[in-house]
Amino acid sequence: MTDEMQIMLEPIRASLHQVGEFLPRVMLAIAIVIVGWLLAKALRFACVRMLRAINFNIVTEKAGIDRFLQQGGGEMDTVGLLGVLVFWLVLLASVMVAFNTLDLAYVTQLVGRVVLFVPKIIVAVLILAFGAYFAHFVGAAVTSYCQSLDMEDAVMLGHVALYAIMAFVVLIALEQLGLGDIIRQTFLIIVAAIGLALALAFGIGGAKRAGEVLERWSHRPGDDARAPGEGPTLR
Amino acid sequence: MAEPAILQAAPPVAVLARDQAEWYKDAVIYQLHIKAFADSNDDGIGDFRGLTDKLDYVKDLGVNTIWLLPFYPSPLRDDGYDVADYREVNPSYGTRADFQHFVREAHRRELRVITELIVNHTSDQHPWFQAARRAPKGSPKRNFYVWSDDPQKYGGTRIIFTDTEKSNWAWDDVAQAFYWHRFFSHQPDLNFDNPQVRKAIFRVMRFWLDMGVDGFRLDAIPYLVEREGTNNENLPETHVLLKEFRALVDASYPNVLLLAEANQWPEDVREYFGDGDECQMAYHFPLMPRMYMAIAQEDRHPVTEIMQQTPEIPANCQWAIFLRNHDELTLEMVTSKERDYMYQMYASDPRARINIGIRRRLAPLLENDINRIKLMNSLLLSMPGSPIVYYGDEIGMGDNIYLGDRDGVRTPMQWRPERNGGFSRADPQRLYLQPIMDPIYGYESVNVEAQLREPSSLLHWTRRMLAVRKSFLSFGRGTLTFLKPGNRKILAYIREYADEVVLCVANLARTAQPVELDLAPFKGRVPVELMGRTPFPPIGDLPYLLTLAGHGFLWFRLATGADIPEWHDERLARDELPVVVLFDGWASLFRERVVPWRIALAEKGRAQLERDVLPGFVAGSRWYASKGNIVKRVALVDYVEWRQGGSAWLMAIASVETEHGEPQTYNLPLMLAWEADDERLRALLPSTVAKVRQQAKVGVMADVFADEAFCQAVVAAMRAGTEMKTSKGRLRFSATAAFAQLAGDAIDTLAVTPLAAQSSNTVVVLGERLFLKAYRRLQPGVNPEAEIGRYLTDVAGFANSVPVAGTIDYFADDGQVATLGLLQGFVENQGDGWTMTLNYLERFLEDMVATDAVPPAGGSPHGGYLALMGALGTRTAELHVALSRATADPAFAPVPITAADVTAWARRAHAEAVSTLDALQRAQPSLPERARHAAAAVQAARAQILANIDAQAAMRGGGARMRIHGDYHLGQVLVTQNDFVIADFEGEPARTLTERRDKQSPMKDVAGMLRSFDYAMYAALRRIDGEAADVQAGRRARGVAWLAETRAAYLASYDAVAIAGGLVASGAAQNLLALFLLEKVMYELTYELANRPDWVDIPLQGLLEMLQRSG
Repeated sequence: MTDEMQIMLEPIRASLHQVGEFLPRVMLAIAIVIVGWLLAKALRFACVRMLRAINFNIVTEKAGIDRFLQQGGGEMDTVGLLGVLVFWLVLLASVMVAFNTLDLAYVTQLVGRVVLFVPKIIVAVLILAFGAYFAHFVGAAVTSYCQSLDMEDAVMLGHVALYAIMAFVVLIALEQLGLGDIIRQTFLIIVAAIGLALALAFGIGGAKRAGEVLERWSHRPGDDARAPGEGPTLR
Repeated sequence: MAEPAILQAAPPVAVLARDQAEWYKDAVIYQLHIKAFADSNDDGIGDFRGLTDKLDYVKDLGVNTIWLLPFYPSPLRDDGYDVADYREVNPSYGTRADFQHFVREAHRRELRVITELIVNHTSDQHPWFQAARRAPKGSPKRNFYVWSDDPQKYGGTRIIFTDTEKSNWAWDDVAQAFYWHRFFSHQPDLNFDNPQVRKAIFRVMRFWLDMGVDGFRLDAIPYLVEREGTNNENLPETHVLLKEFRALVDASYPNVLLLAEANQWPEDVREYFGDGDECQMAYHFPLMPRMYMAIAQEDRHPVTEIMQQTPEIPANCQWAIFLRNHDELTLEMVTSKERDYMYQMYASDPRARINIGIRRRLAPLLENDINRIKLMNSLLLSMPGSPIVYYGDEIGMGDNIYLGDRDGVRTPMQWRPERNGGFSRADPQRLYLQPIMDPIYGYESVNVEAQLREPSSLLHWTRRMLAVRKSFLSFGRGTLTFLKPGNRKILAYIREYADEVVLCVANLARTAQPVELDLAPFKGRVPVELMGRTPFPPIGDLPYLLTLAGHGFLWFRLATGADIPEWHDERLARDELPVVVLFDGWASLFRERVVPWRIALAEKGRAQLERDVLPGFVAGSRWYASKGNIVKRVALVDYVEWRQGGSAWLMAIASVETEHGEPQTYNLPLMLAWEADDERLRALLPSTVAKVRQQAKVGVMADVFADEAFCQAVVAAMRAGTEMKTSKGRLRFSATAAFAQLAGDAIDTLAVTPLAAQSSNTVVVLGERLFLKAYRRLQPGVNPEAEIGRYLTDVAGFANSVPVAGTIDYFADDGQVATLGLLQGFVENQGDGWTMTLNYLERFLEDMVATDAVPPAGGSPHGGYLALMGALGTRTAELHVALSRATADPAFAPVPITAADVTAWARRAHAEAVSTLDALQRAQPSLPERARHAAAAVQAARAQILANIDAQAAMRGGGARMRIHGDYHLGQVLVTQNDFVIADFEGEPARTLTERRDKQSPMKDVAGMLRSFDYAMYAALRRIDGEAADVQAGRRARGVAWLAETRAAYLASYDAVAIAGGLVASGAAQNLLALFLLEKVMYELTYELANRPDWVDIPLQGLLEMLQRSG
């Protein structure tokens, strides 16, 4: 064995040594990811089963979110979506741990930020689900109340209530995702604009028309109907 | 004329039992003149021999008592009421021996005889009077009569015959004194203050009672005794006298009837009943003119008023009521105003009036209006009392008002359209009176012979009415309660006796009238019309609405246990419907379909539905199979919500858990309807399950087949081949190849009509094109009806079965299948073969007896019917040929019958026979009377029956084993314009679906149909039951003849087609048929023993007859 050989072989030996030291960690990382994946699948399954057992899917179905999701062409409903989110949360967490074992700090940090974002999505979905259910509930209540008063625009008023609440729910969900500011400001501008437009409309241009609409809304059935027994009867 | 052969064959009844107390309460009396009824010796005057010859006619009319007008020797100046000898028969009418013979013959026919006892007066020719006028003044002989020297005595007494008499006293030259006569001057009154007169009269009574007479009509009874200062009517002394007579009669002759003729107001007549110790019967004179008045005024008031004024009479007494008699229609018992009205209405010709009355017969009085005649008769027969029918009125005889006195209503009976009306062969001039000869009422148009031939004649109608009246004791004995409907033209009353309630409704007006009757006390009873035995819809909460034709009348029995009409749909709501609270439509009831915070609420609602609501609905539904088995819970085992348009239907499969036995699976689809449409909610009431509320909305939960849109949606789903995922399986709607042709294009516009008559299934008709049948009780497996129906429609192309358009099938995830519904082509039909046959037979058997018609020589009387049965045989054979076609479908491919098959069948039949006969043995003591004899005969032939079955086991096979109808009888074939369409391939409901789908010999179907003929005959005989034994026997003989002809016609056409189609090898078929007939009759026997012991005699008779035929 010559020195040159020694010198030439040294890096190889060193790198082999390094590899020898690194390989178990890689194996460990892979093992962690595999375990994480299995765990993620199990948790997704458990989560979906649990949500279905407490009829969470009915809430989202009634809230119209499932329909919204499925309109996009997918088969998945909200519960499925939450399952997927849980799956990714766990999987990404295990990936993060795996990278950590490999001492890849930057990657770990990067993945860590993604991992931290997933719960926000989950919460946002939950906010959307319950919020939308609430919006539908209020919308239906407004509609049936107005219908019981025989108002002609009952359905429209119900929709107004529904969409108003929905707008706030969406804002809150977006806020949760940390995307709030710009959209909130945009939204406020729009609301203010609508308010101003309505004020102008009522105040100046369409005062008469607006009066008519109000008249129509406050109109009660029976106001101009004859009281029973008063009218002419045929005998 | 009647059936003398049968009557003579009957065992002779000795003398009619005298011990039948109160027989007069159920009497219908036929009043006749000897001289006017029938002349046997052609001297122009009727006689006892003639009458005796006509007794069968009287008997067949349905009356049970004959009242003979006076037949004693008499100068006949008052139609025999002037008696010249109390103990002799007028020689013109025959001898005492003839009379005795007549009484014997009448009694042999269970006819009682009432004669006249005219004791107020005699003829002036009577030996008593002849002796009295010559006897010295004051002597007992002279005192037989009432004498006076002063014609002013008893001045307060009215004169009865105002037209002929000026005074009640007449001068007798021989006696040199005035004698008292209330009637004509040639009728001196007997003096009942003379004890010798009383004794003499009682001897006369004994004389006739010893001859067998059953009662006396006491003529002119109010005038017996005279007292100064009174009006000499209804005196207390008269009542003392009557009590004396009655006591004397009762002492030696029990149950002899005394019938008082007292033309008085009811309160005065009441006295003649005493305390039940004077006369048992008296005429209700005032009722008669008021019945005429009621229909003249078209108002019930005259009748209700007089009946309210009628006092109660002692329990053993009875009124005698009549429309017409041998006297004038007396108007003494009406006010003068009413009398004028009656004269105007009924006697505008002054010649028709006599004394204070009208001398006309019933038919001319009513202008020969058959409806009014029937109405008056119906009133007569249903008012309280024993009715009297005047001879000739049963055929609507006329009168002759140009004859003197009241002879116009006493003309000869009109028997035949020949000389003297068949009354006598004497020269017309010799007759005591000319018969009626005018074109309307003359004997050539109105006579017994013609009316016997004509089934719709007044005579036949009268016979039927009397037969009906006889079956109900209420008419004779019942209490009377008038109903007071708002329509005053309707006379309605209830006759009640013990448990029997009869409702009579009569329309007094010429025009049709509606009436609403308050029958609340009889709620739940079913009115059964008496003439046709037709059940009417049951009495409910609302006033009972009836419509009567002009002068129409209806009699009903208000029955407690009768079947309500099949077609009747009970539209009353269940008492209190439970309320189910929903919050989200159907989803509210399913825990997996609600938001998390409402799971508990959903579970509660579901439990309420399953435990409290549905059990009541299921148990009350016609289709619920185990009636009487209490439903504990109805669990919804599978469901799918089907939304379409604005509707949401719940297609549910329910498991019905009962108190006893395994849970059963039912098809229970439901709908929700909200209150927006009240009309709709009311229409849904019969099929409503519960009321529902969702927040402020209220509505009902109902059976889905009440929803038109649903039925249309089902048809549309079949066309589209829709499949639905249920929670534990799937529903498939599918159509057959024939769908398009059967359903047409406009499915959405098909009108939906529910059919109420179904029992185990729910059926709706869609626009006269389709027939949607929902099975209720679900059995796992392929439904043979759907299967065979599809095969016959799509593969075999058999035109005479009901075509199948589509099915609803359910496939559970665990592999079970069930058919929920079947869509068939609607077959326009005239009812099923069973109803048709029963109606035909009933008509035939009744008509035959009514008209005594002789069947046309050489031909069968059933020509048309037999042609139909021939068609049925042909269709049956064609069905079997269609089912026996070679096919690749293993479910249908026929296989040859092997010897092993025959042996197996025989073995099974043997086992069933043994168990049936054992059951019969056990039931023997509890069997109804009429079945016991037959049951004993069957038991005696046990060995022969079993040997007959075993003999079949050795037979070779032959012919094809194939799919058959399986439950073939007359009820399964629909009549369509002289042809048949075969329906209902469900098979015997008691067997499992697998058993029903087994391949069998077609002879099994043939045997089923032959037994069905048997059942039809016996059922028809039962429906028209209630006649005399001889009539029943005659009907039975005719029924048996019908049966033989029908069977022959059916089998002949079956054989012709079946042999041509290669279906049967005739030798083997005969044996198999015998085997299956035996098997079928055993099955029937088991069924009847378990369910209807009263019907057991039908299979028993069938079995005996089979044994007879096999030798």
